[in-house]
Amino acid sequence: MATRPRYVGTRVKRSYARRLIQGLAHYVDDVRLPDTLHAAILRSPHAHARLGAIRTTEAAKAPGVVRVLTGADVTGKIGNVACASALEGLRIPPHPVLAVGKVRYVGEPVAVVVADDPYRAADAVELIDVEYDPLPAVTDPEAAAAAGAPVLHEEYGDNIAYQWNLSGGDIEAAFAAADRVVKSRLVHQRVVPNAMEGRGVLARYFPGEKELTVWTSTQIPHLARSVLAGMLSVPEHKLRVITPEVGGGFGSKLNVYGEEAIVAYLSMLLGRPVKWIERRRENFQATIHGRGQVGEVQMAVKNDGTILGMRYHVIADLGAYHQLLTPAIPTLTGLMQTGPYRIPALDTRVTGVFTNKVATDAYRGAGRPEATYICERAIDLIAHDLGLDPVDVRRRNFPSASEFPFTTATGLQYDTGDYVKALDRAVEIADYRALRAEQREARARGRYLGVGISTYVEICALGPSAAAPPGVGWWESATVRVEPSGKVTVMTGASPHGQGQETSFAQIAADMLGVDLDDVTVIHGDTAIVQYGIGTFGSRATAVGGTAVWKAIEKVLAKATKFAAVLMGVEESSVRFDGGRFTSSTGGDKSATIQEVAGAAYAAKALPADTEPGLSATCFFEPKNFTFPFGAHIVSVEVDAETGAIKILRYVAVDDCGKVINPMLVDGQVQGGIAQGLGQALLEEAIYDEGGQLVTGTFMDYAIPRAIDMPRLELHRTETPTDVNPLGVKGVGEAGTIASSAAIVNAVVDALAPFGVRHLDMPLKAEKIWKAARVRVAAGV
Amino acid sequence: MKLEGTFLVAAPRDTVWELLTDPDVLARTLPGCERLSVAGENRYEGVISVGIAAIRSTYTGSVVLDDIRPPESYSLAVDGQGTGGFIKGRGRITLTEQAGQTSMAVSGDAQIGGRIAGVGQRLLDGAAKKTLKDFAAALGEEARKRLEREYRGFRG
Amino acid sequence: MYAAAFEYHAPSTVNDALALLAQHGGDAKILAGGQSLIPLMKLRLASPPVLIDLGRVTELVGIREEPGALVIGAMTTHHAIEASPLVRSRLPLLSDVAAAIGDLQVRNRGTIGGSLAHADPAADWPAALLALDAEVTAVSRSKRTIPASAFFRDLLTTALEPGEILTSIRVPVPAAGGHAYAKVRQPASGFALVGIAVQLAIEAGKIRSAAVGVTGVAATPYRAAATERQLANRAPDADAIAAAAEHVVDGVEVLSDLRASSEFRSQLARVHAKRAITAASRM
Repeated sequence: MATRPRYVGTRVKRSYARRLIQGLAHYVDDVRLPDTLHAAILRSPHAHARLGAIRTTEAAKAPGVVRVLTGADVTGKIGNVACASALEGLRIPPHPVLAVGKVRYVGEPVAVVVADDPYRAADAVELIDVEYDPLPAVTDPEAAAAAGAPVLHEEYGDNIAYQWNLSGGDIEAAFAAADRVVKSRLVHQRVVPNAMEGRGVLARYFPGEKELTVWTSTQIPHLARSVLAGMLSVPEHKLRVITPEVGGGFGSKLNVYGEEAIVAYLSMLLGRPVKWIERRRENFQATIHGRGQVGEVQMAVKNDGTILGMRYHVIADLGAYHQLLTPAIPTLTGLMQTGPYRIPALDTRVTGVFTNKVATDAYRGAGRPEATYICERAIDLIAHDLGLDPVDVRRRNFPSASEFPFTTATGLQYDTGDYVKALDRAVEIADYRALRAEQREARARGRYLGVGISTYVEICALGPSAAAPPGVGWWESATVRVEPSGKVTVMTGASPHGQGQETSFAQIAADMLGVDLDDVTVIHGDTAIVQYGIGTFGSRATAVGGTAVWKAIEKVLAKATKFAAVLMGVEESSVRFDGGRFTSSTGGDKSATIQEVAGAAYAAKALPADTEPGLSATCFFEPKNFTFPFGAHIVSVEVDAETGAIKILRYVAVDDCGKVINPMLVDGQVQGGIAQGLGQALLEEAIYDEGGQLVTGTFMDYAIPRAIDMPRLELHRTETPTDVNPLGVKGVGEAGTIASSAAIVNAVVDALAPFGVRHLDMPLKAEKIWKAARVRVAAGV
Repeated sequence: MKLEGTFLVAAPRDTVWELLTDPDVLARTLPGCERLSVAGENRYEGVISVGIAAIRSTYTGSVVLDDIRPPESYSLAVDGQGTGGFIKGRGRITLTEQAGQTSMAVSGDAQIGGRIAGVGQRLLDGAAKKTLKDFAAALGEEARKRLEREYRGFRG
Repeated sequence: MYAAAFEYHAPSTVNDALALLAQHGGDAKILAGGQSLIPLMKLRLASPPVLIDLGRVTELVGIREEPGALVIGAMTTHHAIEASPLVRSRLPLLSDVAAAIGDLQVRNRGTIGGSLAHADPAADWPAALLALDAEVTAVSRSKRTIPASAFFRDLLTTALEPGEILTSIRVPVPAAGGHAYAKVRQPASGFALVGIAVQLAIEAGKIRSAAVGVTGVAATPYRAAATERQLANRAPDADAIAAAAEHVVDGVEVLSDLRASSEFRSQLARVHAKRAITAASRM
């Protein structure tokens, strides 16, 4: 590697940004094949009902319609939607791609119409007549868990999908030794991921070759291929999955949905390409939701703020059926329960519950925002109840940098960390003392300022394969091919969908091989071209995928060195490589460029001993651990007690994601992450009424942050490399979201402290704030 | 969604009761009603277009009357299905004499599912109120016409 | 979703549009900026079989001055009003309201006539047009003017008859004084949870008369008459303004929805009435 990297660590602009901005990128809907038919889905308007007769004759006769299918038509032809989670005692109800017998959530697919254009398909859907026999619905997870609730999957007798417990240390002793137990009920509301591009699938079956190609907007092309092959009984090697440009996923496309299989099946049935592009309303109703936990946290503490133990009992709102990782997400909360603190005893109980709503699954942070929120609210409650400064309580409970690798009571081993440093840095940049002084002064004048802190650690860069669901590994793959001309092709099993690895992996390759950035191309998302990979989720692409690239290049360089030695006529052990050029310590001024070496490797005129021609290498990198990025966010807000309006005055973020390949990409991830955490804290909530109707079904009622809603973000970093991978990279895609909701809520609750407010649940809508502030006003203070 | 409202109809209670149990009158006065016919004892079937201004959804369904206490009150159960989704309503209409006029109290709740449920939340309450108001007004107009006819008939 | 099929016409004159309207009767709907109608159609909440697009009727676009008033063509976009120096100099309240509507894209396409004819209970224009005693001109076989106070009849219902097209809005230039528009945006839609438009006539340091138009609070926009009465001939001190603002929701049934209960809405109306009147009085 060059002594001073030319690209890694610099703010290189995304190579592909231009095509995105100019509308030249190809998303699924931009892939146009001749003779394509269009599918439209009839979805249940009932949250819970028995399914009676489905009359499709009128729809089948409608202009342009080629076929109409219902659940009965595909039973035995398309397998059920897959759930990859294997928790002990987990109930996995059958999840048909088109409803059979019952519908269990508003938006559940009931029938599919295929027509020659999407408009006629949509018109024909209206002509399908379905007999529903409505049943009482249950949408509140606590009500669903209680006796007497309407039962979704009658074979189970109740709505409990699983009970997952995690304990560590001696929790009874911890609570016995406590000076005080600080507790609170906490609600994580359901949110809608809302990727800018909804889901979409195009399938093309060649009956002669018996080959199926599926273009799908997914985060996991290879995994989707394996799952779809199973669902469709198509041999895996005859199925090609292509991921074109993907307009955002945020976890909502870390999945395999029934519609993907339905569209592929239709193409096989009809021998023509079939396309389905999800409409925004469908995305709200039928693409997975995020979060959905209701629980109580209890912290056993000493009067000086030391935490002795922690209990978290929670009910997880899973939805009506499982999608790929639905049951697993709340268990990630349990694993990260203790956050960046030394908490020796732990008792976590997660009850996963079925409700008449769409499934929840991974959404940016996937269980870890919940864990951070619980910890950080608890810390602030401890500080509040004991009359301590929240910064001091955190410092008191942090492990010191010398205690790493740090093993938690949940059984994880945090790789590296310096939590004190990140917090100190944030405190300094935010000028915490001055913020507190300003707050005191403002209170005296009837203005309510608040300061909120969130110190987090999160688990990412999944990960050791032993921890992955059955049948799946969590390694990542890369093939690096130096072409005869010396240009470089990197094929990664990761599946970036806005994260920028096309640029960052090119930076790594360009630096290691000493070529120009433009000489490197990064390919992903095509199972016919790219070796089997796992995909992009859990902030893993750079830490795991980037490491695979790095290791593949190491192999390439080892082979290139052999060829260079032959070319220069020197001993292999004397060869050095720097800045794209091989030299020899014994060869005088002899040298060979990587381009020359590549040419020689393919021309194969003089092969080194025991060496094959060509110059490429593959690596499947299996990480020995997760990585644990961390940081500290400090937010100051002003709350208007008269109107409940919240204004964020300052937002300081200090994040540590280990080594940074491209600071601009990292900043982008943190900004986007904070935006989604802010959305959950202040604006977003997927609301279902008692009848199970999704009331916030469009952007008229579901508020997501826009650019004008965002405060100016002051982003800083500390850099504590990980030893889990040679790049020293930890992962940062979800960190912003994981940290931010807690920081904002802490700030607002702090602002309302004079009103006796101890806790408020998200989203912090204006009316909620106003009502909380009235108590004191009414008391005349 | 709750449906509540009390309206004054300028006619004696017996007249209002007759109107409220006459399918032809109901077909004329229920806002958006396109068709209403008797389908059995205390059961009507028909087609109604529900909404305000251009926002409309058409439902086909039934109205079943129950717990009928002439000329005071009855309960009704409405069930309709359409391409827009479904409506389901349960309510009671109670008539009270008030100095030769009738106070009509409507009380019940409605469940709306499908398209409009996820979109028109803020308009639903208002639409329901307006529909009730318009219904009461139309009923009042029917009452007036009927009384006029009776009067003319009486005058001979 | 996709809209249901419809027949599309794009006449270039008002007369042609009227003829089409008469021909198709209840089947036809006028398309102005489409910012309300197209989303309704795509959601299939409204499925008019015939659309008459006024986008090419240039005679309906423009802002002109008449003695003591401005006349705004119905198809004038919110942005054009916001950007107009003429409006800024004669009727700055309208500039402020225009700037508060939706977002940039909505303002570029949406029209004042379309907004008024749709009569969304949370639209911004009605508050200002009521406060300024504007008049709407409607045309079918004949022409008539409808004062704003009589225009908004009920939820999404105006005084326009079937077959009528709203062609222009005449807004009298108010007496010297101050103005303000205070709006609480519904965070998702950008519509007004509460919108208070204030126009004050100020003379010798006193409020000679006040006009307070309110939107978003009730099923129709209204003038807060009680508040106006309490401000008339008063010096605009903080107590007087606060006391007057307390009455801003008197006599109306305050809406309650997902975003704001009627209690909270009333609170927002009172607070923002106070702030708007205060801002207007300091001009």
